[in-house]
Amino acid sequence: MRAAETAIIGVGQTPYRRRHEGSTPELVQSAVREALDHAGVSHRDIDIVVGGFAPDALAGENSPDKRFLPAAGAVGKWSLRINTGGTTGIAAAYAAMDLLEAGHGDLALVVAVERMAQARSVPAIFNSIFDPIYERDTGLSTISMAALRASRMMARWGYTREQWAGIAERNFSHATRNPLAQIRTDYSREDVLTSRMLSWPVRQLDACPVSEGVCAMVISRAELAGGPRPSAHVRGRATFSDSYNMGDRINRPDGDLVELQTLRLAAERAFTMAGIGSAKDADVVEIHAPFDSAEAMAYAPLGFCAAQDGPELVSTRFGHRDDSGVTVNPSGGPQAANPVGATALIRLAECALQVMNAAGDRQVPDASLAVATGQGGSTQFSTCTVLSAD
Amino acid sequence: MTEPTAVTNAVEPLTIEGHWNFDYTYYAGEAASRFFAELRNRRIMGSVCPECHRVLVPARGFCDACFVATDDWVQVSDHGTLETFTILTSSFPGLPEPPLVVGYVMLDGATSAVLNFVSGIDLSDLDAAGMSLLGKPRVTVRFKEACEGRITDFSFILDESAS
Repeated sequence: MRAAETAIIGVGQTPYRRRHEGSTPELVQSAVREALDHAGVSHRDIDIVVGGFAPDALAGENSPDKRFLPAAGAVGKWSLRINTGGTTGIAAAYAAMDLLEAGHGDLALVVAVERMAQARSVPAIFNSIFDPIYERDTGLSTISMAALRASRMMARWGYTREQWAGIAERNFSHATRNPLAQIRTDYSREDVLTSRMLSWPVRQLDACPVSEGVCAMVISRAELAGGPRPSAHVRGRATFSDSYNMGDRINRPDGDLVELQTLRLAAERAFTMAGIGSAKDADVVEIHAPFDSAEAMAYAPLGFCAAQDGPELVSTRFGHRDDSGVTVNPSGGPQAANPVGATALIRLAECALQVMNAAGDRQVPDASLAVATGQGGSTQFSTCTVLSAD
Repeated sequence: MTEPTAVTNAVEPLTIEGHWNFDYTYYAGEAASRFFAELRNRRIMGSVCPECHRVLVPARGFCDACFVATDDWVQVSDHGTLETFTILTSSFPGLPEPPLVVGYVMLDGATSAVLNFVSGIDLSDLDAAGMSLLGKPRVTVRFKEACEGRITDFSFILDESAS
């Protein structure tokens, strides 16, 4: 396995909830202090502060970096803010790792923030992220965007709504063990199938909730990690981007809309760096999928099965923590809490906690290898990260 | 040494109302301006990439895969295939009341699909309607009486009900 260049040495998270009553800087402070404490370092030891926040209009805070970066301890440090939609949080972590690898410091603090409950017109704001010339007039939203993929997966590979409800049921079941999760109700497959229709074939419990919260992480140059405190070593990571235009990906020879070409490329590169064959080699996988159908779309790119065999795979107990194979989303995943600007960093943080053996009730026994994915911008951006215990 | 001043504990969280009602004017750009102008002539036009030869609909000024400017325009058919769709069930400002079908249609002669509304579907039972559309039905373009330079100047109608 390739030597790690960076390692995660501390994680701090607010609970993820429908609404937080603190101010954004207060929430940032809370998560950052917890991450510093977990790492056993002081804010004075930090060289680099990278913040992720997206999209500004959901929080109603324009150029929010001005207020939240100082709350993360950025005063007097090398600091920047990142926004790549859903991948914002992981893109911030990658920027921090890049800066550490380039020799700009020894310790970086990454923080990713979501305050979307401050908005009282969430659907209209989500519509505003799409192309104003060709797309917005169709009422496109993040939910219909996912539904357009879900129906294509039904037509192409024969997925059923019952199979997807099974994925949701497993995610909700896992989330009951996670005190940070927003939804900790053990919803059944039947509950999912009878929940409110949002955008056919997607119902409310096929989707993620509106969530707020902050995730923070301390990342170190690998050679400085270790000692008595556990750390999560970054063995492989990659990110790829695609065309913005979803219509251009329909029937595209090198990757259809529902084939998630960017995740396939990112996973291949990350797995090669880490020296593993596929995500099957991991103990834990946190998939950044705000919809059950979107989670199924990630299985083939991660090497769990061929795309056409997805329906068969999800008909098994695939991904359950009591199954002998890999555990998918032991945190409950984005269906249990999806603070947009933070959620991709949460996937990495949860994987780090697992390989540090610090995940509490949601700990998967003996987890030593974990894979986290990130998705953003109508699956325009994908990331894949491999973490190991040592 | 001064005694610390007693402060009020356990106050209700204070909230402050905010508004973000900004107005904007978007320039559609050269390619989209021409695409919309052609809609007035009842023609759906695509732009052609000189390298990969794909026909981009709606038209764009460059191919982002080859990273070259498109150099040619072709008219594509008014007939096409509903490649994927969803049925919107929530009302949205400016849109007709739901349920509404919106989907990506690959028009004959095009290499990329265009998103728009699809009509002519019995939506009295959403599950039945959804399942019936999974078979990639054929659709035909229907132009609005008066085009105003918006993508909604046209929509699609299901062929089976159009006859």
